[in-house]
Amino acid sequence: MKISYNLLKKFVDFELSPKDLASLLTSIGIEASVISQGYDWANVVTAKVLDVQKHPSANKLSLCKVSDGAKEYSIVCGAKNIASGQTVPLAKIGAVLPGNFEIKKPKIRGVESEGMICSEKELGLKEESQGIFVLDDKTKIGLPLEDVLDGIDSILEIEITTNRGDCLSHLGIAREIGAKLRKFVSIAKVKVLKKLPLLNGIEIESNLCKRYIGSVISNVKVGPSPKWLTDILAKSAIRSVNNIVDITNFVMIELGQPLHAFDLNKISSKNIVVREANESEKITALDAKEYKLEPGMLVISDKQKPIAIAGVMGGEFSGVDEKTEKIFLESAIFDADSVRKTSKKLNLSSDSSYRFERGLGWDITELALWRAANLITEIAGGKQESIEDLHTVKYEKTKVSLRIGRVSKILGYSVEENEISEILKFLGIDLQPKDEVIVCTIPSWRNDIKIEVDLIEEIARIKGYDAIPTLKTHTDYSYTPNNSYLTVIVEEFRTKLNDLGFSETLNCSFLEINELEKFGLKYYYKIANPISKENEVLRSSLLPGLFKNLMLNISQCAETVTLFEHGKVFDNIGEKKVFAAIMYGKVWHEWWKWTQQKVNHSFDFYFGGGIINNILPSQEFMIVENLAPSSYFHIGKSASLFFRGKVVGQFGILKPSLTTDIKDEVFYFEMDLDPVENMCVKKNNFYKAYSKFPVVKRDISVTADKFLQFAKIEKVIKNVMKSGGILKEYSLFSVYNDESKLGEGKVSYSFRLSYKNDDKTLSDKEVNNDVSVLLNKLDSQLGVKLRQ
Amino acid sequence: MEDIRKIISEAKEKIKNANVSSLENIKTEYLGKNGALTQILKSLSSYSIEDKKRIGSQANNAKSAIETEIESKKEDLKKSFLDEKMRSERLDYSKSFYFPFSKGSFHPIIQTIQDISGVFKSLGFAVGEGSEIETEKYNFEALNIPESHPARDTHDTFYLEGLKTLLRTHTSPGQIHAMEKNKPPIKVIVPGKVYRNEASDATHFSTFHQVEGLAVDENITFVDLKTMLADFIHKFFGSDIDIRFRPSHFQFTEPSVEVDMRCIFCKGKGCRLCKSSGWIEILGCGMVHPNVLKAVNYDSEKYTGYAFGLGVERITMFKYGIDDIRLFYENDLRFLKQF
Repeated sequence: MKISYNLLKKFVDFELSPKDLASLLTSIGIEASVISQGYDWANVVTAKVLDVQKHPSANKLSLCKVSDGAKEYSIVCGAKNIASGQTVPLAKIGAVLPGNFEIKKPKIRGVESEGMICSEKELGLKEESQGIFVLDDKTKIGLPLEDVLDGIDSILEIEITTNRGDCLSHLGIAREIGAKLRKFVSIAKVKVLKKLPLLNGIEIESNLCKRYIGSVISNVKVGPSPKWLTDILAKSAIRSVNNIVDITNFVMIELGQPLHAFDLNKISSKNIVVREANESEKITALDAKEYKLEPGMLVISDKQKPIAIAGVMGGEFSGVDEKTEKIFLESAIFDADSVRKTSKKLNLSSDSSYRFERGLGWDITELALWRAANLITEIAGGKQESIEDLHTVKYEKTKVSLRIGRVSKILGYSVEENEISEILKFLGIDLQPKDEVIVCTIPSWRNDIKIEVDLIEEIARIKGYDAIPTLKTHTDYSYTPNNSYLTVIVEEFRTKLNDLGFSETLNCSFLEINELEKFGLKYYYKIANPISKENEVLRSSLLPGLFKNLMLNISQCAETVTLFEHGKVFDNIGEKKVFAAIMYGKVWHEWWKWTQQKVNHSFDFYFGGGIINNILPSQEFMIVENLAPSSYFHIGKSASLFFRGKVVGQFGILKPSLTTDIKDEVFYFEMDLDPVENMCVKKNNFYKAYSKFPVVKRDISVTADKFLQFAKIEKVIKNVMKSGGILKEYSLFSVYNDESKLGEGKVSYSFRLSYKNDDKTLSDKEVNNDVSVLLNKLDSQLGVKLRQ
Repeated sequence: MEDIRKIISEAKEKIKNANVSSLENIKTEYLGKNGALTQILKSLSSYSIEDKKRIGSQANNAKSAIETEIESKKEDLKKSFLDEKMRSERLDYSKSFYFPFSKGSFHPIIQTIQDISGVFKSLGFAVGEGSEIETEKYNFEALNIPESHPARDTHDTFYLEGLKTLLRTHTSPGQIHAMEKNKPPIKVIVPGKVYRNEASDATHFSTFHQVEGLAVDENITFVDLKTMLADFIHKFFGSDIDIRFRPSHFQFTEPSVEVDMRCIFCKGKGCRLCKSSGWIEILGCGMVHPNVLKAVNYDSEKYTGYAFGLGVERITMFKYGIDDIRLFYENDLRFLKQF
């Protein structure tokens, strides 16, 4: 909302500059900033030009003697229109002009200037101006410039929190200033006539209308508004229509009460009914659009049809125009919730509905009507014929009890009872102290004050939050960043993957349906009211997001893309936490010491799986055969992750049909975090003494059927390890599959076996025996033979 | 006797000046089969028993003394040889070093949440987590935001089709869950993702993060709130940061506060980032509204509390000078790798 600084001054007397006023308002909870600066001219005074000489070393400059009555200044001036005898604005050294332009003491072509004679542009009064600003000859000298200029105003942009509908006017803001500065607010006196019933009457048929005041003014002359009126409306960004409409708008920004004027001659039988709309009733509003109404929406109607949507917008048909002679002026209170619902449903809001939604003060309604009627008869002529005031409720002011002791109980610091009373009094609250309790009668406009703590807030707010003391730090802990937001396992994953060059990502939780369907994924939660297609459904997997990130980075020429993410996904079971990683491209970058072969290695099933195997925080995790691969995996290149009897994740290569646009395979891993969330990452195995005797190594190569699952060979080796006790480790160091040399359908595996005895040095014979035992078992159980 | 002493001093002198090859000769000269000391030992037979013993032991001592001397000289020579060799070996440190993988990175939003949580943890707060799918009750009603209230206008809500649920618009439902699941004293923060159904631009995105905080106990006051948040801001942003408490309005707190800190870019002079105000809004907070306490059946006479909420994206944007919130969700490696 835009507020005029000058108009505020008509309600309350204060001595603050616009900037200081904005700070004051901000400090009491009304965020304000100066958007159009009338003036901020400390150190700019009126002065007389005594003498003008040519500058000794510059043709276009003059050297002037200027006096502010107390002192003479020598000033260098470049304006052509300067002449002795003129009264001019002088910015003295130290003055700061708009645009943060500070007046210093420069030497201009060798001559010092003790200030600057200003143009209107330099003062921020006009966008463009020619020469210096010459003031009226009769202007007194030595006065601050702002004191001699009329009609200069500053505009403040103000943000009002949703609870403070009472501040949506100049009067409302003035009340706040008054409360802070302990000053009373004065409202222009209005001429009040005796209330006379309307000829054809007003009928209120719905309780959604709380109060309705109507008045008929006849013989008005509709025409353009006077300049002062259009000026003030312009400052509040309201378009001028005609004098009648402008006055209703002016009273709204002045006092906060939305008003509406109807052309009475356009109202059939000149009868006003306030009622709920009928099924499928329609109205064309002042914005020239047609709105379909329904029961629950309050309308103002004549005998036949609606003439206004109550509190939201008037009808086009019944509006005031140049031909209007007789008007019906409305000032009313409509139910806030009803106006809000109507405005939402019709998707139509206005300055009026904005104020009704936030609630209006009972007393202002009448004041505003008189104020507008006075202005109309004054500006547009005419005579106020009749006025009628109806209500459906009996209004009573709210009373709230304040226990003095409760103030410090909530705030933690004590406020003197005198100060409490003073603050509340200047907020317009009537006080009846009784023992330790003050019974507070809340003014009609403060519908936000309902309970005791609301009063306590008022006290703290007006006293100022700066006045709240802080205790000496109540903790002695020194700050050490501590990871506590993420679970232990996520923290383990992310640190390990970070070490391996992965980047953590964050994706939006929404997707388009086809982004999921592309991967054969389903959606389980659809957004009922998305504002764009991007927000259609909630993700059921992290894959679509990570895949999108992958493709983006590939398009930006990234050779390696390794990303991970953790977050919520939403599937048939509900909301669950998952962890996922995607890997693509070169494992290693080129390096001058690497061979070409090493450089060209890219992420594949075994490499990706190796990384997953490496980051698993406990031996309780097992990589097993993937019996039910997700729809997006390559059916032959995936595995699943097993934890305490359950599959918790899967990894593998994405289906080739998903990655046709890119060169390499894409490795993806996703696991559920919920089943492992509370697991302890620290291993509780006891320490085992290690053997001090040397290790004996043996390499063996065996030939196996190529379809024999490798895990079966491993199982035989592990059994030998268990029974014999001297085979401690094995590793697969080579796989050879040249069937022309090995025989059709064969593959060869080379193992490195490590033997050790905990108590003594092993002899060759013992090791050889154990190797034979292993080979025999491989042969007898699996037909795996030593390679010849 | 004289001879032996002379031999020792003579040998020591030679060893001192020896190099690798002459050292071997010296060894032979004194200790070899025909060496001077060996000669003496061989000639012992011609002496009396006492003399034999005396001279013998002297000669043996001399032998081992020379041996030790030679060995230590050998070590010295080896060391100076390696030192000499090292001087000639120079690698260019400016050629690229290598680690098999490029540098990884943590997402700045997650990292900020981690850091914020760390500070609050050090201030005695537990860390909780809430669901992202919520009900009207937890997201609004229990927080004193009835359906008809204009405050709902500031919460553009995503509703789930066919269900009576929504995506939480703030982490504040965490307050209600925390109070329902625990008994005072409560001191908890709830970080997490929240959603708003609004068009995205440089400062708005449908998905963002907040950290909610709540403390409820007997005798918690506004002073405690201010003290704790001042403490947090000073620990998180630096002890020299100027802060300002400004009255505001939230339905679930009364009194309500917005906390600003002096703009860290212009130091309060006014710049583009602080919109010339010199202040940056950092968080909203206040004393828990009695209606909120009532919603969880707490005695609002006995218990008081404070609550606060901060926007993670906003803080992170200020911290790193990021001017577009959407960058956080694009996941371009050229962005991510900077953190």
